[in-house]
Amino acid sequence: MLENPLLPYLATLQDVVDLTPDVKLLKIELSDPDIRKSFEYKLGQFVFISAFGTGEAPFGLTSVYYRHGPLEVAVRRIGTVTRSLHELEPGETIGVRGPFGNHFLLDKYRGKNIFIIGGGIGFAPLRPLITTILDHRNDYADLLILNGARTPQDLVFAPEFDTWAASPRTKLELTVDAGDQTWTGRVALIPTVVKELNLSPDNAIAIICGPPIMIHFTLIELKKLGFADSQIVTTLESKMKCGLGKCARCNIGEKYICRDGPVFSLEQISKLLEKF
Amino acid sequence: MNPSEEIAKKAKELLQSKAVSCFIGYQRATDGVTARPLFVYTPEEADKLVFDQTCTHNLVKYLLSRKGKATGIVVKPCDSRAINLLLIEHQIERDEVFIIGVVCPGIVEARWNKTSDKLKDICKLCQQHSPVIYDSLVGEPVPELQAEAYPDVARIEALSMAERKAFWEEHFSRCLRCYACRQVCPGCYCSECFAERLDPLWVGIRIAPSENEMWNTMRAFHLSGRCIGCNQCEQVCPVNIPLSLLNRKLEKEALELFKFQAGIDAKTPAPFATFKKDEKIGIGE
Amino acid sequence: MSQFISKKDLLSWLSKLAENRSLVAPARVADSILFRKIDSTEEIVFNFYNTNFSPKEFFFPPSEALFSVEKKDGQIKLVPTVTRGEMVIFGIRPCDAKGIATLDLPYLEEPGDALYIQHRKRTGLIGLSCLTACPECFCTSMGTGPDDASNFDIMLTEVEDGYIVQTVTERGKTLLPEEFLTMKDVALPPAPLISLVPSKGITDKMRQAFDNPYWSRLADRCLHCNICSYVCPTCYCFDIRDCTNKGRIDRVRSWESCQSPGFTKIAGGYDPRADKGSRLRQRLAHKLIYFPEIYGPLHCTGCGRCVKTCPVNIDIREIIQDIQKLERESNA
Repeated sequence: MLENPLLPYLATLQDVVDLTPDVKLLKIELSDPDIRKSFEYKLGQFVFISAFGTGEAPFGLTSVYYRHGPLEVAVRRIGTVTRSLHELEPGETIGVRGPFGNHFLLDKYRGKNIFIIGGGIGFAPLRPLITTILDHRNDYADLLILNGARTPQDLVFAPEFDTWAASPRTKLELTVDAGDQTWTGRVALIPTVVKELNLSPDNAIAIICGPPIMIHFTLIELKKLGFADSQIVTTLESKMKCGLGKCARCNIGEKYICRDGPVFSLEQISKLLEKF
Repeated sequence: MNPSEEIAKKAKELLQSKAVSCFIGYQRATDGVTARPLFVYTPEEADKLVFDQTCTHNLVKYLLSRKGKATGIVVKPCDSRAINLLLIEHQIERDEVFIIGVVCPGIVEARWNKTSDKLKDICKLCQQHSPVIYDSLVGEPVPELQAEAYPDVARIEALSMAERKAFWEEHFSRCLRCYACRQVCPGCYCSECFAERLDPLWVGIRIAPSENEMWNTMRAFHLSGRCIGCNQCEQVCPVNIPLSLLNRKLEKEALELFKFQAGIDAKTPAPFATFKKDEKIGIGE
Repeated sequence: MSQFISKKDLLSWLSKLAENRSLVAPARVADSILFRKIDSTEEIVFNFYNTNFSPKEFFFPPSEALFSVEKKDGQIKLVPTVTRGEMVIFGIRPCDAKGIATLDLPYLEEPGDALYIQHRKRTGLIGLSCLTACPECFCTSMGTGPDDASNFDIMLTEVEDGYIVQTVTERGKTLLPEEFLTMKDVALPPAPLISLVPSKGITDKMRQAFDNPYWSRLADRCLHCNICSYVCPTCYCFDIRDCTNKGRIDRVRSWESCQSPGFTKIAGGYDPRADKGSRLRQRLAHKLIYFPEIYGPLHCTGCGRCVKTCPVNIDIREIIQDIQKLERESNA
């Protein structure tokens, strides 16, 4: 482990892709070849990205380790650090700390039907799950991807929708809160769509991520459909500073989101003292 | 009836008649000698209310978290000026507050577990012994005293600039930016304090002399023409910085330049919040 | 027979220590007694209950640069902060030494905090046992005691004309040369009686009381002024941000408190702990449930500073008593 866990690795911003008007995909290459080789991360883990001069913020890794490509994070411009990150050009130096947190137990979902439900930028930690499942398609049963956003322009990872939809035993459902002149698709909130799709809990796992209020109401619909607490998995976020469980900030009840999370099953969350 | 009994009786009435849903006063602290704020929600609990010369806290700050709810409150004269301040600045509604004003004999020097008969220095200088706004008065009104004097400020003004700089540098070097001064002040209620702002970054998180000076002086400026002199900032400061001196210096200036004292009535707006086209104060002429 | 050092020899020894290391001791600063780096033993205050702030600031400073960012020839280089020189802190009470031992638990846990480890490695701890109790302290209910020498390098207990010396660690043996010590026919005085607080079983009781409206009522008067966290010898929350200082970028870590509004507010404005009651409950829950469940001891050493300095008398001793009673009421 790094001698000073609060000291970032230096990295270069390789490429920037505009996903939506306020979300950019950053492709990052660690500078030190030894660190690049040994930087192994699992699905659902996160890193702290530093915009030197402004500060750091945590982002879920949206790439997959086994492809050995650059680290990818989706950054929504919403605060000072994310604004600084949005202003960076390819070639500039940034910092990376991590990987932190626990991970999705994808192995446990082999042979199951998987429902991946995400809203807005919350879809970012779910994308590597989809990539992995599609790269190992026969290990899993049916896959349903429900991706929602406020408007059609805010749907993230649009360039990959065709690939996802074309995969075997895979269904892609898109929904927006409000359409525009060209949108011909669904206009509904995610919890409503979950209800309409009448998802079956048989041999299924639901993995959801998004704004707290979306998670809250989607959980209600899933419970009504008969999903057990152990069949629902989510990834939580909070204000974080150290990522190591040492600054005592990101806890929800007795669990630190940076160390015991960010991936939690509903079973684990319902046992917590605090309810967010 | 002593003040404690009068206040308890009135609070009980207000709660019983549901004129208020909460009454904010004082009770005895766990050391048995000083006081602490008490929020009373039922008439039975009103018996715990006390008032004496250890009741230093300015309870008006709590009114800001009870907007829209009818609240009874005990105020000393300085505290009552804070109510006027919040009324002028549209932070509270007059009909949501039932004010029990207390004629104040002055607060004594007291810390945890230790009181005394000595009046606090700020109370020795105080010229406002009767509350300026109230619905009910406890104690006999005292005739108006002479205008405010600032011998404490004058003592600093008599120092040379170099001496003053050294004085304040020494005090600010101890500041830990706990922001207790801001938290206790009824005039500090910005939903985002300038010290928390990241863009532009006025203060930052580093605890160092330049940032400490920035914090303390800027806060004093934000209170210029608004500070009502309750002294709670200095009272709570864990490293004993004489914060009142800063605020009182600006209070003195407001008095001299604008003949203005904050919170004396609920009508006259603060000088720095008022633009008058025909205003001349002799600067730049 | 006990190891003994006369008051005179103690002062000589401390002066000698100060020759090639920083000597920190309780000193009078404005109206307070604070730990300060001193230049002469004349500055040391010997007659005191306890300092206003704990010595944690020498291991976990109020503000500290983690590293600085240097830009040279278009390349960025990160320069971590390195602390130099030895330090000795004299005059620490057992509650504060327990505080440091408590801070060790999160900060030395893998991966260890590099800066904290540096400070800890270079600092010797010389304790002064308590002959009287402060009105507000309750250390024996929190796993330590007025004569607890276990977390020091050297422990001194005042007797007539000087101090009984207990050398606890190897570093302690190295710091205090034999030439200053004599053997004297004097025994350790009995430890003073410390007020008790019903801390036994408090973790379970606190769990049961978690959703009680008690917290909301208690928080009514809380000003969220942060003072309790800052005077506490065990509190360790911090904030990290980059600060630009005359063109140099430092990544700075500074003290923060779970009580400050906005502690859990994320960019975009959502705050899961916006409510005053849940913020105050977080502090007590961390101290009485979360910390002991992860690390073992309660996150409090009974020093009483928060009791003494809270402007609105939020008294942890009263809270612990109330929580014990709450459980009994719900069972009745």
